[in-house]
Amino acid sequence: MVDASIPMSAARASFLDVWLARVWRLYPIFVMLAVWEAIAHSGLISPLLLPTIEKVAQEFWQMVVSGDLVFHGSITLQRALIGFASAIVAGIIIGTALARVKIISRILEPVFIFGYPIPKISLYPIFIFIFGFGDMSKIVLVFLECLYPITIQSMYGMRNAERVLVWAAQNAGSSNARLFWRVLVPSAAPAIFAGIRIALPISMIVTIITELIGESRGLGYVVAFASASFEPARAMAAFVAIAAIGFCFDRSLNWLRQKVIYWQADAPSLT
Amino acid sequence: MSDQTANLEQVMPEAKTAFGDQRGIGILVPLAILVGWELCGQFGLLPRYIVAPSKIIATWWEMLSSGELIGHVGSSMFRQSLGLLFGASCGTIIGVLAGMFGPIGRFYEPLVSLIYPVPKVAILPLIFAWFGLGDLSKIVVMTISIFFPTYIAAYHGAKSVNKIHLWTAQNVGAGKARLIRQVVIPSALPDIFNGLRIGLALSFVLMVTTELVVSTKGLGYVIARAEENLRFDRMYAAILTIAILGFCADRLLLKIREYFLVGQLMSKDRGHG
Repeated sequence: MVDASIPMSAARASFLDVWLARVWRLYPIFVMLAVWEAIAHSGLISPLLLPTIEKVAQEFWQMVVSGDLVFHGSITLQRALIGFASAIVAGIIIGTALARVKIISRILEPVFIFGYPIPKISLYPIFIFIFGFGDMSKIVLVFLECLYPITIQSMYGMRNAERVLVWAAQNAGSSNARLFWRVLVPSAAPAIFAGIRIALPISMIVTIITELIGESRGLGYVVAFASASFEPARAMAAFVAIAAIGFCFDRSLNWLRQKVIYWQADAPSLT
Repeated sequence: MSDQTANLEQVMPEAKTAFGDQRGIGILVPLAILVGWELCGQFGLLPRYIVAPSKIIATWWEMLSSGELIGHVGSSMFRQSLGLLFGASCGTIIGVLAGMFGPIGRFYEPLVSLIYPVPKVAILPLIFAWFGLGDLSKIVVMTISIFFPTYIAAYHGAKSVNKIHLWTAQNVGAGKARLIRQVVIPSALPDIFNGLRIGLALSFVLMVTTELVVSTKGLGYVIARAEENLRFDRMYAAILTIAILGFCADRLLLKIREYFLVGQLMSKDRGHG
């Protein structure tokens, strides 16, 4: 009764049936879209607040044609990705150092443990003063927010390597370098990926937030500007673009995870 | 033999070496930075946007004793706690139900996996248009954002209940309500708390963000206003307050978690800290 009753006959079903079943699984999305469309057409809510789906699609197409979408999208993507990528590199290095070098762990661990629950976004106004209004302050903030989960997860991953495996490798006479690359890194990989997975949506959230607050480029700015000028369809079109980016990021990370950590079939839940 | 152990220590420093001596050096370095910072401030070596710690503390104390800070903290925490309450309770309740009952799970599954990776905060300007610039729209954004991580954690927890426990309970004649209360929830609690912790951190981020964008009261408002007036000391005082609140809330949640999960916590599963 807890288990979902998956139709077992699917294994023998034809290609078409499999696809139909897949589409059928997505029915709640269509229900939601239908509800939206019905409300928008009923005239109960002003079109200034809830535009119809056609309108949003039309606006989206217009943004694609005029090149706005590519322009703003690439700026948002660039900020999120640079911050995120540098946080991955720095986070794994710092996390490894925290786990393996005693003196560094004593010096830096409190910074990461105690700083973890503090919302770094409140530092943004200061970053604006230090790094200016442009890309740099945003990238630094993305970097900082992503750094914490990746560092902490890498640290725990590197520390929680199974002792038996370490002993076995040492018994077999492996050098420290070999031990690191062949035992510690693979056993920490799932935890590192968990950290990256926590950080990925954060990178997009922070980029968008900083663009909402003060910017004249980027998708977050488009949403803010369009809704301030009562063009909800345009704002929603930009939101759809943001959503698509977020969704694709998540999917590609999952795909990458399955390629890299092929020995662990299923992604664990969050944290 | 002793060589081997030494080698091992070098390769894998124990996670929990005596905390006492660790704390000593751990505090030393931040202390040194703080002293250096203060000295630079005293000698006027700092740029304007970096304020010496003593000045920050003085401003902070002044704001606290005049009662100004309490008002801002109150209005920030009011929104933050309501958003967290609505988001986390919807997420947890629906998540547990979705994990228990197939049709509910199948309804939410595609919606959640579609919307979860989307940065929901981007819809903030539209929410402002719908619900006005006041408290309501901020609470709505928090509720939406916090729903997803808490839902996923609770769903995962309820899904991974030990089947044998369920069967045993059913065998001795437990009803649905009793099953949820006495079997599913207790065994899903560790996951639920993980979700709550993520939701809590998120609620603070959103609290600051929404106030930075638009507000007339609250800590984010203090920061935004101080930035406009170049009152950097007030800005740091507000940031300090947010940091203290975020840290204390997280510790409080960990304490509550420890209280409820006594016996379910393995030593390495004590959260990040």
